[in-house]
Amino acid sequence: MAALAAMPAEVEVEEPDVDETVEEDRPWIVLVWNDPINLMSYVTFVLQKVFGYSHEKAEALMLDVHHKGRAVVSSGTKEKAELDVFRLHEHGLWATMQKD
Amino acid sequence: MVFPFRRTIQAKGPDRFLVHLGTDERAVVRAVCEDLTSVLDDGDANPALRRLFPSAHATDPEVDRQYQEMVHDELLSSRKEALAAVAASADQAELDRATLDQWMIGLNAVRLALGTVLDVSEDGYPDLDADDPELPAWAVYEFLGSVVDACVHALAATLDDT
Repeated sequence: MAALAAMPAEVEVEEPDVDETVEEDRPWIVLVWNDPINLMSYVTFVLQKVFGYSHEKAEALMLDVHHKGRAVVSSGTKEKAELDVFRLHEHGLWATMQKD
Repeated sequence: MVFPFRRTIQAKGPDRFLVHLGTDERAVVRAVCEDLTSVLDDGDANPALRRLFPSAHATDPEVDRQYQEMVHDELLSSRKEALAAVAASADQAELDRATLDQWMIGLNAVRLALGTVLDVSEDGYPDLDADDPELPAWAVYEFLGSVVDACVHALAATLDDT
């Protein structure tokens, strides 16, 4: 992904015809799932603390989790996703990671 | 509001927080942290700890296995550190930010374990008789919720000052 972004715009890029390339470039996403125990105020604050999100953004994500059952809270490389999941688990949030 | 309302945790600055809890409440705070520590020391097969060590992948056991291998011990030790920090400061009138953060994390962990045992659901609280044996546990669960919420509000109120 970074390599493609660094290419000059005028260079013609052949359409990749191998799915594998896409597969490797696909980022991981981190999900937080709804649970009946964690307080809404707590989930909002943990998202602010762990990701540096504004209160508004963190609260909107928390409400997504609450109403839709889950929300994507971050994305990136597998290593970043693992670290994010770890920090959320440290705070007792129910987080999982998966390929987007 | 007809009476002066005081939060359980009062922010006096970005790194200074007053704890307004009675002696009995502080004894509960310490006891629940020590209880959870001894449950953790007995090994994490206890189903009450299920929510403290969740799977890292909803469907792929291999991703979860790699993750658990990498972080499980660290997760366990950071949790025990938080519980020890709370128990050690349970009687303090004042906490610094780092310790209050440990209170929030440690007491929330206790609440997760207790809520798992009580089988808390989205339906709210069950209608319990005054002599129901689960009543004390529900009271502690409620109390911990109020303290965690107070920690959150105190820390959030001073978030921009740090």
